[in-house]
Amino acid sequence: MFVELAVPATLAGEGRAAVQAARPALARRLLAATPPYLYLLPALACLVLWTYKPLVEAVQLSFYDWNLLPTSPMTYVGLDKYRQVFTQAGLRHAAVNTVIYIVCLLPFSVVLPTAVALVTRRLGGRSRDVYRALVFTPILVAPVAAAAVWRWLLDPTGLSNQALGWFGLAPHNWLREESTALPAILAITAWSMCGFAVLVVSAGLTGISADYGEAAAIDGATGWQILRWVTLPLLRSTLLFLVLMTVLLSGQWTFPLLDSLTQGGPAESSTNVYYLLWELGFRNFDSGLASAAGIVFFVVFGLIAAGLVALADRFSFHDN
Amino acid sequence: MAEVRYIGASRRYAGSSAAALKALDLDIADGEFMVLVGPSGSGKSTALRMLAGLEDVDEGEIRIGDDDVTRWAPRERDIAMVFQNYALYPHLSVADNMAFSLKLSGIGKQERKAKVLEAARLLDLVPYLDRRPKALSGGQRQRVAMGRAIVREPRVFLMDEPLSNLDAKLRVETRANIAALQARLGTTTVYVTHDQTEAMTMGHRVALLNDGELQQVDTPRAIYDRPANVFVAGFIGSPAMNLRWVGRTDGSIRLGGALLPLAPTARSAVRMTKGKEITVGLRPESFAVATPDTLNTQDGPGSLSLRVTLVEHLGADSYVHGTLPGDDTRDKPFVVRVDRRVDPARGETLPLTLTGPVEHVFNADSGRRLT
Repeated sequence: MFVELAVPATLAGEGRAAVQAARPALARRLLAATPPYLYLLPALACLVLWTYKPLVEAVQLSFYDWNLLPTSPMTYVGLDKYRQVFTQAGLRHAAVNTVIYIVCLLPFSVVLPTAVALVTRRLGGRSRDVYRALVFTPILVAPVAAAAVWRWLLDPTGLSNQALGWFGLAPHNWLREESTALPAILAITAWSMCGFAVLVVSAGLTGISADYGEAAAIDGATGWQILRWVTLPLLRSTLLFLVLMTVLLSGQWTFPLLDSLTQGGPAESSTNVYYLLWELGFRNFDSGLASAAGIVFFVVFGLIAAGLVALADRFSFHDN
Repeated sequence: MAEVRYIGASRRYAGSSAAALKALDLDIADGEFMVLVGPSGSGKSTALRMLAGLEDVDEGEIRIGDDDVTRWAPRERDIAMVFQNYALYPHLSVADNMAFSLKLSGIGKQERKAKVLEAARLLDLVPYLDRRPKALSGGQRQRVAMGRAIVREPRVFLMDEPLSNLDAKLRVETRANIAALQARLGTTTVYVTHDQTEAMTMGHRVALLNDGELQQVDTPRAIYDRPANVFVAGFIGSPAMNLRWVGRTDGSIRLGGALLPLAPTARSAVRMTKGKEITVGLRPESFAVATPDTLNTQDGPGSLSLRVTLVEHLGADSYVHGTLPGDDTRDKPFVVRVDRRVDPARGETLPLTLTGPVEHVFNADSGRRLT
């Protein structure tokens, strides 16, 4: 039970002054609360400048017909460009190719690296380092430089065709034939990404305590059973991360190779959505269509990524 | 259930000059609770892991029952192990963790469930069977690790410091539970710890290792009463036994300006020994504070005066650290256990009498017990 007492008259005035003194001015309080946000500012500024601003502008552009020339007018066309996206044959073909790239890259960005990492885990210290360095090297080569080397290798007079000649086979123009252009780009991307994925899986394996394997061995598991029932389930979050990377980034990984080796050809056979978007925007100068298609793919990839992240959350296990 | 034998078992790690375990000979009887104890780097965990098959045996052999298991894979040995961090599979529920080995050995689902439930009842784990390890407390995890071991009814239990991740109170409780469980199941158990209290309270016998060598194997009481060498004497007992190098005399020793009587067996052993000096061991609990009745003279037989440097109050009693007259500065402080009512101040001199004759005498060079 509390009884409210009136503030003595003599104290009332002083009391108010004391309260005011205890509460610093608004400006000072704001200043005191600022430092954390100041620390965040550079990162936020970059994020806004490089990610959110272009995104908003892309959405804006997708409702206009404009050829990117500052002097030409921007015509508002509503949802026309989106309608065009869903009816254009070239875009559908590029989308199918993108799926082919993703599906065919998965074995090289997830399965093979897992196998390599598991095998090299058994090697001794120094030989393991050397072996992993060899596998990792391709990612260090700049994509355009790698493309130049591969162009020589895949040239009709290049090493690959000389090798075919040793077996009595006719030379093949890998990058200029519709049937082999996409597989060639795929192979070069796989060659360059595999090492990176091996490194990721190796890091994932290092994070799994050896005790689990030992406990399973004592529980009666064979090497294969330990892999199947203990190691792989504990590696699931790493593997899902690699799947996510492949799904979201395979278009970007293949882009420099496409641009420098095939330009999406021959006859659009090796193109993918990223390359097509670039072509629509910067070769055909149809910024509206390119933006609309970009937004559609952004939404689709966003949904896939959200699904995979949810899966990763569900399947990742952390022993504390 | 089976007996376990280490026969000259050695382990040498690549790149290390000294062996981690040197020719260990140890027989563990069927149903026995054997504790391997020693400081870190003593080879106790190596010995356990060799028995588990997780470490190679470079020389010698290891037998479980009639089987020479030296080259057998861990899964062929029919053993179960409780790891220091429990190594519970984080992606499996408690029930699945416990049933994992049964599943691997092809036991049917119904039988698996029944066995897991039985073990869970024994360990108070029934409400947690569907939980993942991360949703359990440390004590519960420890019990799941125990459950995983007992559910498969192995020939031997191996435990690698299973209590070291628990808080002090839970450790005392779990210590008793494990000992009771082992007594009930009667399974041969090899238990590794660095904690001498666990060693003394849990094991039927204790094997004490240091630098990869077995120092002594005996019952906890025998190890306490008759430590085989200076190392064992200093390791077992808390606070540690006071060890001092003294000149040999016939019937007594001279320490801190006082004459302390030797026990008859010690007296004859000292008489037989060569060399000028011997090492004597005096347990902190073998002293009483002298009263005017018991104190004849300051230098009388069995009486010492301790210059107090530190008093540790433990509730029921106190440990008084101090120096004896004539103690070398390199000597460790001389520690005695006294009644809680005795509360000397720092710098004060505490008169002490020995409650019995000096029993622990060791060769000053080899450190071996003389009696």
